[in-house]
Amino acid sequence: MHPIIEVQDLTKEFRTFRRREGVWGALQNLFVRERITIRAVDRVSFSIQPGEIVGYIGANGAGKSTTVKMLTGILVPTSGRIVASGYVPYRDRRHYTKHIGVVFGQRTQLWWDIAVVESFKLLKEIYEVSDADYRERLGVFSEILGLKNYFNTPVRKLSLGERMRCDLAASLLHNPPLLFLDEPTIGLDVVAKDRIREFLKEVNRLERTTVLLTTHDLSDIEELCKRIIIIDRGKVLFDGDLREMKARLAKYNQVKFFLKDRSQVAALARITTNGISCERLDDLTYLMRFDREHYSNADIIRNIVTTLEVSDILVEEEPIEDIVKRIYLSGEVA
Amino acid sequence: MGTADLALPSRPERTFSPGTLARIYGEFVRVGFVNTIAYRLRYYTGIVTYFIYVSVYYFIWKAIYAHSASIEGFDFSHLLTYVAVGWIMRSFYYNNIDQDIANQVLEGKLAMDLIKPVNPQAMYIAQALGESVFRLVMLTAPTAVVLLLVYPVRRPASGWHLVAFLVSAVLSFFLVAAINFAVGTFAIRLKSILGLLRAKYFLLELFSGLLIPISFFPHVFQVALAFMPFQYISYIPVLLYLGKISGLGILRALGLQLFWVTAMIALGHGLWTWSSRKITIQGG
Repeated sequence: MHPIIEVQDLTKEFRTFRRREGVWGALQNLFVRERITIRAVDRVSFSIQPGEIVGYIGANGAGKSTTVKMLTGILVPTSGRIVASGYVPYRDRRHYTKHIGVVFGQRTQLWWDIAVVESFKLLKEIYEVSDADYRERLGVFSEILGLKNYFNTPVRKLSLGERMRCDLAASLLHNPPLLFLDEPTIGLDVVAKDRIREFLKEVNRLERTTVLLTTHDLSDIEELCKRIIIIDRGKVLFDGDLREMKARLAKYNQVKFFLKDRSQVAALARITTNGISCERLDDLTYLMRFDREHYSNADIIRNIVTTLEVSDILVEEEPIEDIVKRIYLSGEVA
Repeated sequence: MGTADLALPSRPERTFSPGTLARIYGEFVRVGFVNTIAYRLRYYTGIVTYFIYVSVYYFIWKAIYAHSASIEGFDFSHLLTYVAVGWIMRSFYYNNIDQDIANQVLEGKLAMDLIKPVNPQAMYIAQALGESVFRLVMLTAPTAVVLLLVYPVRRPASGWHLVAFLVSAVLSFFLVAAINFAVGTFAIRLKSILGLLRAKYFLLELFSGLLIPISFFPHVFQVALAFMPFQYISYIPVLLYLGKISGLGILRALGLQLFWVTAMIALGHGLWTWSSRKITIQGG
């Protein structure tokens, strides 16, 4: 199958000036400015098949948004090659953008002062959506996303969650085969997040829409993506199956246990040996982390129940947040 | 990696038919109009503001004309009409495209314009046209009625002069919109262009002839301004209204105005193309 997105050695450099600090530095800045080049995206390559949902993650400033802006035709790459849906995004921007949907979580593409439905009507025209398709899609979207009640409300009066749902509907009115989402759940409450995730799954299932999303919320990734690409300081650190990443990179398992009463606290010291850390979560709840290579779950549980009187035990894999945090901090996949 | 890997797909063919384009940008005109309704209060106060502007100039010129019956071929009734018609026109052609673009850049929202399959220049000008249609109804018409009732404004020199003036006023809108778009594109590279915008604002008021007829300027300025588009914003259209341009001169004036509209649109297009390779988007 032909990939829908192909990216090869994509690089984006920004030229800027080094700023000196203090009064003297500011004066110097006025006369002598030192040029520096920042490489925001550094020879990134990947390809994405139609129908995939791919999570593109990285710490702040890792180059996620810059990549998305190049993929959507907003920024011109310094070097490298992008072909998406058969177009070169920055070169064929006006034609290409007819075939993609884009949502930036921090901005809206709707008109601030006019009713939501007026923006939808305009988008219908510029994407040349037929009346029948428009009616049908709007019906489906408003049902899944619950938009009906604020069709006639100006965007500035919507809550963030409501606005986000409208933006998502707007980006899909023309049923694009390719959807880019830049932090679509930022600042949303749990219910709103859930609604948006369900909607995306539904769209992906029904229309085989390819989705590339960036996020800081890793529960988005776990809910939606089979595949993730981790980027750090402009470079791809990991590209592959989410479950495979967990299996390969999870270092420890964790056991949460609840002590029967406070008399047990003194006995805790006896179970922490080398390679095992124990963290107090509250009065009677403790979290123990242990290296997966040295201890089995059974060893640890046996050890806990023979030494302590506990009311409950919970075994978990290392949370994906922790794995990713470790990758961000070390800057490598080891 | 062979060179074959680097082959890019061929450019898509132009598939935007004139009918489609008219429908798309017609939608932007509509949204520009609807969007302005949110600010309709501003236009009620605008009527008062424009009345005050014209009144201030009425008294200034009255004081000046106390000493002479005619200046550079304008008697007082001509000059009063010149001022009134100039400001009435301005209430129609005025727009803030330059500031809108500057704000989009500062707020990092330029990206939202670029993800749409449209030509940004046509989009901004179409939305401004929607706004101007709104202004025509809510600001220009009432302001004109008030001014005609209060001051002895002359009637157009003839039916043909009125027609030429109306055509010219529409071209004025496009001229101002094209200039504002071109100026606005500087925000893409320079980020903050508030100073530039202020300078442009005052230069446009002066060089368009809105404040003082161009023929009152020193000769050197008049010659220099003849090679610039600005006097076609206000001075030339009002001369048409007053009948100070006649016969073939009318066609020549309209032709030159059209030329400047085209030139400014081409300039804006070029500046946008030049700037858009350097777009950096802050934040997000």
